[in-house]
Amino acid sequence: MLYGLLLLPLLVFLGRRDKGALVRLSVLLPILSALLAPLLLGQMAGPFRLDGVGLFYLLLTDLLYAVIALFARGYFSEEEAWRFYWAGGLFLGAAHGAYLAHNLGVLWIFVEGSTLASALLVYHKGGARVLEATWKYLMLGSVGIALGLIGVILVYALLSGATLDWREARALVGSANPEGLKLAFALLLVGFGTKVGLFPLQAWLPDAHAEAPGPASALLSGTLLNVAFYALLRYTALMQAAGLFPFASGLLLAFGLLSLLAAGFFLYGQKEYKRLLAYSSMEHMGLAVFALGLGLPWLALFHTLAHSLAKTLAFLGASGILALSHAKEVGRVGGLFRSLPALGVPFVLALAALGGLPPFPLFFAEFKAVEAAMRYPLLAAWYLVGLGLAFAGLLGPMTQMGFGPGRPWKAQGLDLWALWLLLAVLFLLGVRPPVEVFQALEVVLWTQ
Amino acid sequence: MEVVNTLVLAVLATGFLMVSRRSLDAVIRLYALQNVLLALVSFGLAKGELHFVLAGLALFVLKGVAIPWYLFWLLDRLEVSHEVEGYLSVSFSLLLAGLLTALAFRVGAVFVLPEAPLPQGVPVALSLVLLGMLSMVSRKKAISQVLGFLALENGVFLLALSESHGLPLFVELGVALDAFAAVFLAGVLIFRIKGEMGHVDTARMRALRG
Repeated sequence: MLYGLLLLPLLVFLGRRDKGALVRLSVLLPILSALLAPLLLGQMAGPFRLDGVGLFYLLLTDLLYAVIALFARGYFSEEEAWRFYWAGGLFLGAAHGAYLAHNLGVLWIFVEGSTLASALLVYHKGGARVLEATWKYLMLGSVGIALGLIGVILVYALLSGATLDWREARALVGSANPEGLKLAFALLLVGFGTKVGLFPLQAWLPDAHAEAPGPASALLSGTLLNVAFYALLRYTALMQAAGLFPFASGLLLAFGLLSLLAAGFFLYGQKEYKRLLAYSSMEHMGLAVFALGLGLPWLALFHTLAHSLAKTLAFLGASGILALSHAKEVGRVGGLFRSLPALGVPFVLALAALGGLPPFPLFFAEFKAVEAAMRYPLLAAWYLVGLGLAFAGLLGPMTQMGFGPGRPWKAQGLDLWALWLLLAVLFLLGVRPPVEVFQALEVVLWTQ
Repeated sequence: MEVVNTLVLAVLATGFLMVSRRSLDAVIRLYALQNVLLALVSFGLAKGELHFVLAGLALFVLKGVAIPWYLFWLLDRLEVSHEVEGYLSVSFSLLLAGLLTALAFRVGAVFVLPEAPLPQGVPVALSLVLLGMLSMVSRKKAISQVLGFLALENGVFLLALSESHGLPLFVELGVALDAFAAVFLAGVLIFRIKGEMGHVDTARMRALRG
């Protein structure tokens, strides 16, 4: 059955080049797999196994994918839709593989697979800027992940070549050489961190996210970054099992904080709104890594959930704005809140959510992180500086695009209710964050 | 074991030559040779274990024959000069390559794990990784960056062989498949870059900033 779940997304190729069929398959297949997945919890098949944490990300990815695929119906024309849905199917398959993998080597293979599939998503139709962005993404992503593979090999060798199986590795890792493990973790953090978009390895991220077609940007930011982050979660848990969490924590805190501060500076004075959102992804992945470094995996998981929802909403909104206005710059878009509320209200509120304003869940997550960081006042202070910078960077574009001067447009042919749906979920999560669920997931991650 | 040692040194020599040659055809041939040598290392370590023979064969077929063939085909179809264009002169590249190799041998000891079956291979593997990175950042043609990535990837393969008898076969095959898909995708992109911009010079791709 697990193999079925793995291959389900590839059935989208049955739709051939017929747009209607592709949309139906791309919406129904992830929903079907989301319904099927909870039944398979705890099952094993070969190198695959589904546990709570894998299930959480699988459901998140599937449901967001379905929403994005539906939204993309109005975004792509008849002739170019197939590129998006085919590449999307490959990408979803790779993401399924990564979340189902119960083997460190297989996890690596699918993370790299998701890089290749998402390069196709970025490329889409081509053009000079897109080619440049795709080339950069492919080269940097591949080199980064190759360094990650060195880390995987070292872990395997440190376990005396006995196993790559996740659960067996956790049991054996306690007797492995700690110095070697530290080296391996540093390489793994650099490798998967490149894909998560941690500073200073993020060079590909703003280009790829800004140049990809809108719905693809939403997929990259809302679901792809999580794939690499999930690998980091697994390896951090492995370090914890080996009794080396303090070492891992130091690296994670440093990379997380640096990414936050760097993103804060980049957000400042960024003229294109899609690049703005890309740097905001870098900021929030940095925050999630920071939460993990604080020893609060539940908070890191919650942060990625809130970020995925808010960022998908923001990128879908941005792609709607781009499709209607054909303007990439913040300064050329304005007055959305009143002239086009169906699109403007959820988009502006998504920016507010990403800026960490209450009542949205990222406010709750950031508040909890500051609370925990208070143990080290200097760390908490830098964290707040970074948050302030990032918020200031988003505030300007938010007011300009929401309330500033600009020409009004008419919305045509876009499924804008998808945005309202995401906004409603985001609001509910902010008002009533399901902390217990995430703490249960933390137990799964830390012990199984 | 002596034979394997000699082979490992020969692998290092191909890595070095790949940095210094100025003709893309020569670099691709050296890459093919490097894979044949690595396959032989894999056979040499086998001692009757089937998994090494299969991994070596897969390496030979995929990376020793298929990828070089694809790269030659690409180069022919692209109608660009077969000269490696870099930012560095040959002598300076060689000097840097020498320094990187020395560095790899110097820090290699840290990477050698107690039970490594082929400890001599570890510094060579690290050298290949560093030399591959050097090729990637110091060269302008998109295709020579792909070659740099492939050399780097070979370094990772040799590291797996040296540290722990190689990864399990199905992981190894998955990794090789990923590399093959990446090269294929890169090839398609190079075609499009040539079609769109009329050159394959990544140094001139600088529309995206900030």
